[in-house]
Amino acid sequence: MLKIERLTKIYGEKRAVDDLSLHIRPGEIYGFIGHNGAGKTTTIKACCGILNFEEGNIQIDGISVKENPLECKKKLAYIPDNPDLYDFMTGIRYLNFIADIFGVNANDRQERIHKYADMFELTQDLAQPISAYSHGMKQKLAIISALIHEPKLIIMDEPFVGLDPKASHLLKETMHELCATGTAIFFSTHVLEVAEKLCDKVAIIKEGRLICSGTMEEVKGDASLEEVFLEMEEK
Amino acid sequence: MTKILIKKQLMEVFSWIYQDKKTGKNRDKKGLLLYVFFYVFLFGFLAVIFYNMAASLCGPLVEDGFGWLYIALMGIVGMSLGVFGSVFNTFASLYQAKDNDLLLSLPLPTRSILIARLFGVYAMGLMYELLVMVPAMIVYFMHVSPDVSVVICCILIILLLSVFILTLSCVLGWIVAFVSSKLKNQKIITVLISLAFFAAYYYVCGSAGNMMQTLLLDPAGMADKVKGIAYPLYQMGLAAEGKWNAFLFFAFAVLVLFAVIYFILQKSFLALSIANKGNKKAVYVEKKAHTASIPRALLRKEVFRFTQSPIYMLNCGLGIVFILFAAVMLLVKKGTVDSLLMMFIGYEDRIALVATAAICMITTMNDMAAPSVSLEGKNIWILQVLPVSGWQVLKAKLGLQIIFNLIPTTFLIICVEWILKPAAVFVVLLPLTVVLFIIMMAAFGLTCNLKAPNLKWTNETVPVKQSMSVTAALFGGWIIVAAFCFIYYLLYKYFEVKALSFLAGLDVVLAVLCILLLKWLCKKGSNIFETLTNA
Repeated sequence: MLKIERLTKIYGEKRAVDDLSLHIRPGEIYGFIGHNGAGKTTTIKACCGILNFEEGNIQIDGISVKENPLECKKKLAYIPDNPDLYDFMTGIRYLNFIADIFGVNANDRQERIHKYADMFELTQDLAQPISAYSHGMKQKLAIISALIHEPKLIIMDEPFVGLDPKASHLLKETMHELCATGTAIFFSTHVLEVAEKLCDKVAIIKEGRLICSGTMEEVKGDASLEEVFLEMEEK
Repeated sequence: MTKILIKKQLMEVFSWIYQDKKTGKNRDKKGLLLYVFFYVFLFGFLAVIFYNMAASLCGPLVEDGFGWLYIALMGIVGMSLGVFGSVFNTFASLYQAKDNDLLLSLPLPTRSILIARLFGVYAMGLMYELLVMVPAMIVYFMHVSPDVSVVICCILIILLLSVFILTLSCVLGWIVAFVSSKLKNQKIITVLISLAFFAAYYYVCGSAGNMMQTLLLDPAGMADKVKGIAYPLYQMGLAAEGKWNAFLFFAFAVLVLFAVIYFILQKSFLALSIANKGNKKAVYVEKKAHTASIPRALLRKEVFRFTQSPIYMLNCGLGIVFILFAAVMLLVKKGTVDSLLMMFIGYEDRIALVATAAICMITTMNDMAAPSVSLEGKNIWILQVLPVSGWQVLKAKLGLQIIFNLIPTTFLIICVEWILKPAAVFVVLLPLTVVLFIIMMAAFGLTCNLKAPNLKWTNETVPVKQSMSVTAALFGGWIIVAAFCFIYYLLYKYFEVKALSFLAGLDVVLAVLCILLLKWLCKKGSNIFETLTNA
């Protein structure tokens, strides 16, 4: 579903991402971990078509992000680490705006808004302006808006930051449900315990270079993911 | 404690001098010097205007024995400028200050916070008042050869007047805070109050000439009016002549009024500061969803952006009010317009030309597209990650300006054509030219913004009021209209080109400009938008 081949992104003289390759298949939950500034967000933004890159190729469902970005964007949903949404809209207006852009029909959108807003306990706040939302509420709204068009690929940057424990738990459950329907999920996180429990596969990035990737068992073996990560960081 | 808070407040109020609002960083020495020089020049320029005004009033009034009336009238001007200049700051700094929650959570008495905030408002009002009162007093001293007692009285009057300005600003700020804490939609209140102020300002500016003439012809009549309506100002005028009993009366009136207002503010400050800011929780009621196409959804988003921001509306959409006002004035003042048309006997074809230029000039006051890219700010990622092209987004931004200009302008054009009754060919050419000009200006403003976007702002006044693109779109529009008028003048003078031919030629030029700008926006502009980043 998401194929990153030899991705390189350069800022000035710094190689923020260097020759990175990953392959996320349908139905997989793929964790992406690394220290601050390792290149996770840069990789994620490049996958979403927000950031140009110098070398390499990214394909979503077989379509190149560089050559046909609009077709790629139709298949994916992105949840940023800091959900800066339109403060001048109400929650429901924002969801309808996103649904309109993705061409979700009236019945489907109503059903999905109802389902996910109820699930994340945001229904009562949908008529409120987003400017009145807390960080967690904005995060929930960003998650609902990402699910509204049933994307084939969901890319998330630190999705659990700001969520309360219940919403975190619900998001994890939803991720499992989506994967069961063939949706691929690629997300970055600093919470290694979550990654360990949730992910089928994991990739560790350090200073822009991929230092380890594979199934959770392959990467961590008998140790914990935290131990493996810290050991690799020290090398 | 209060001293520290006052210092903080003054630093905040006058931060525009030493801080670049775009970057949030302090200006370097060179930048600071240039900035200070610019403002000294600007304030000096304004002071000269008020000096000339004072000079034309003072001589005749002092000679007729109405020196007190001169002081009272200049006091009214100073007061108006002080209140007008500081009232927008009052509501924001007294009740909507960003650090209200922080300060209220600290172990500070509410009184100290209020005093510090009032000091900021006072300083702002005093600054504007001095622009009028310093030149007014200089002129006054030149005419009356004052003794020490008069000079002391006049200085004290200036200070007392600033306290009165503070009182008036507080009353207005308090009313706005009180009303908006009771209302659901503060944005409408902000826009309406601002529009009322603008209307009052333009009314006073427009009728200032007549008022001056009436005053100089009949100073005694005006003196009676001032005595009757504003007795404390009469006493203030007398105080400036060195009458200490009048001064004491004026001082007493000002200080008692301020004490009352301060008492009310102190009682209600906490409640108003922590009020729910008018955002009563709206209850969500599930309704049947209505779908919209991508262009419609994007346009709707731009419309929300515009209508939900008073600053955006007032700075980039004020032309809508002016266009409608012009249309109504045309209908109401039909007689005056008819008499003006007599000036064009023998040059009837120029009527449509002048009307076209005038309409185009007003439409340049609507420049919503000019800051629209910058206004995306930290939200830019949303449109970039959605399956929409940059060109689709830019078309929506153009659409906002074109639609919000075309709707009122259509009404104005209908009024113009009904009142002026131009020749049949102009009935087509006039609207065509205006429409092409509106499209061209929208594309021009958007192009300017794409060339110099600013996505790193923290306050939306920066992209809306202080951006190069908005300045270029507004003044550029005026320059373009003036340039076209000048070109017509040259063409007529040297080649006797007729208005009809000129307007037809102008339409071709405008159409070409539109095509070129839209083509650039569609290709390069679209690419620029898609790769913008606020990182």
